[in-house]
Amino acid sequence: MKATILEVFNTIIENRGNKKLESISPEMHLKYDIGFDSLDLAELTVRIEADYDIDIFEDGIVNTVGEILKKLEKK
Amino acid sequence: MNILLTGASKGLGLKTTQFLLKKGLTIYAISRSKTENLNELLLQYPDNLKWLHYDLADGVNVRQSIFKDWIGFDTPIHGFVNNAALAYDDLITNLNLVSLEKMYHVNVFTPLTLTKFVLRQMLLHNIKGSIIHISSISVHTGYKGLSMYASTKGALEAFSKNTAREWGEKGIRSNCLVAGFMETEMSSTLSDNQKNRIYQRTSMKQPVDVDSVAETIGFLLSDEAKSITGQNIHVDNGTI
Ligand SMILES: NC(=O)c1ccc[n+]([C@@H]2O[C@H](COP(=O)([O-])OP(=O)(O)OC[C@H]3O[C@@H](n4cnc5c(N)ncnc54)[C@H](OP(=O)(O)O)[C@@H]3O)[C@@H](O)[C@H]2O)c1
Repeated sequence: MKATILEVFNTIIENRGNKKLESISPEMHLKYDIGFDSLDLAELTVRIEADYDIDIFEDGIVNTVGEILKKLEKK
Repeated sequence: MNILLTGASKGLGLKTTQFLLKKGLTIYAISRSKTENLNELLLQYPDNLKWLHYDLADGVNVRQSIFKDWIGFDTPIHGFVNNAALAYDDLITNLNLVSLEKMYHVNVFTPLTLTKFVLRQMLLHNIKGSIIHISSISVHTGYKGLSMYASTKGALEAFSKNTAREWGEKGIRSNCLVAGFMETEMSSTLSDNQKNRIYQRTSMKQPVDVDSVAETIGFLLSDEAKSITGQNIHVDNGTI
């Protein structure tokens, strides 16, 4: 699951023309460590929803990679 | 190009659907009724015209019924024409809350929800799409009895400008086409006298040509309009 999430992250990062990530870890902050802004986070929601049919932001803000993974595991 | 268009069964929506199909676009069309004219188009364009019976008073099932089950998340959407609308006209002193709320659902709340999912689909497929809301000259020039209807269109104009600002950096555009009075079912309850008074307020002193509005929608959807966003484009015979 971590691998597909990394792939999703890199799609967004590449769309921005930035350098791809080698790896991600649960404690990484989406905004401060990965550098996503609000529009990137919107794109992230949509791409994860397409893969997992779950809207990660529907019930509140998600800050870290670990919080995303937890939401997807719950499914 | 795939275009989602509401209110395809008659009036401007039907004309626009016909015009866009002729240009080779694929149309996902929504309305409550399948009129004879719409049915003819469905037979003429079995591949490029898809139709869904949906009542826009229902904003709750938009994601499931329209995007998941019908269009499908795998289908990129390049344009959205928010055309369907209901005109509840009366003096403000007669305002009926049930009628007003119904109009806001059809004209504002469901179109905003549709925009949400159109934008999401554009993001998913990296589409620099075009959104067009059909507004009305009544937002800019007052008419007796149209204040409540005009307020729904004013909401769309504000929404469109801010959509343009919010999503411009992804290349997504949003514009309003401000139509003047056209001879459609919507304006059919007006008497000749009322119509003439409205036309006298335009530079060209006649009803707006529906084809001209449809052509302008086609232009705003196209790549030729790629630098136009956040605008209100008036097609109104010069109402001043
Ligand atoms: N006519 C004018 O003078 C004028 C002037 C300025 C702006 N406009 C705007 O131009 C646009 C087109 O108007 P028009 O003159 O072509 O009106 P129209 O002939 O009354 O057509 C309205 C369309 O909207 C659809 N619609 C209405 N309520 C709906 C609902 N609850 N769910 C789904 N579809 C619904 C209708 O389909 P069904 O009935 O089959 O559902 C029909 O296809 C509207 O946004 C209108 O406000 C019109």
